Amino acid sequence: MIPITSTVRIRDGRHQFWIPLFLVWLLLLPVAILLLPLFFIACLIVRVNPFRAISVLWEILTALKGTDVAVDDGHCSVLVRFP
Amino acid sequence: MNENRRKILEMLSAGQISADEAERLIAALGNEPASSGASGAGAPSKPKYIRVLVEDNGSGNSARVNIRVPMQLLRSGVKLTGLIPDHARTQVNQALRERGIPFDLNQIKPENLEELVDQLADLTVDVDDRNAKVRVFCE
Repeated sequence: MIPITSTVRIRDGRHQFWIPLFLVWLLLLPVAILLLPLFFIACLIVRVNPFRAISVLWEILTALKGTDVAVDDGHCSVLVRFP
Repeated sequence: MNENRRKILEMLSAGQISADEAERLIAALGNEPASSGASGAGAPSKPKYIRVLVEDNGSGNSARVNIRVPMQLLRSGVKLTGLIPDHARTQVNQALRERGIPFDLNQIKPENLEELVDQLADLTVDVDDRNAKVRVFCE
């Protein structure tokens, strides 16, 4: 299952965004479908199996769950979390 | 278990340990039953995450970084090498050799991948600089 939510927190919790990724996926779906023929052509040009490429990209998306990135330099802190 | 957690939280509130250390200790407590569980064969449990921690050594010159990457993401990422076209792979191998890294991307195959990721379980990197302390480990 691909992550359907993510948390982005910027500047010591003063600004916190909750990004509903499922809406992002829904918005990207028509774009992805439109770009699919180009993607297939590009894969054929570079001699890569397009189905394998899609499979690996999907695996990466599903594996994003559990990823946490937190950076704090004293002035600004950023947290990105895929629960 | 609850007593241990309470002690960790008390140490955290007293400032004896950092939040990251408390998190690690609590995570270790959570793993206790699994590691001492049914099998009893002493087989180490597979790590789920690779962690990168950068802590300022008090100089104020370094950013604090706390990254947790699932091993599954690492596995999937390594599979991307299989999508690199042959001619690009040759160029990458050549560039790596020129920089003194004798690594062949063609050797990354699905059967080797699991072994490669499993070996990361023993990986621990500690760098103690005057500005920052860097730790890379699996949990």
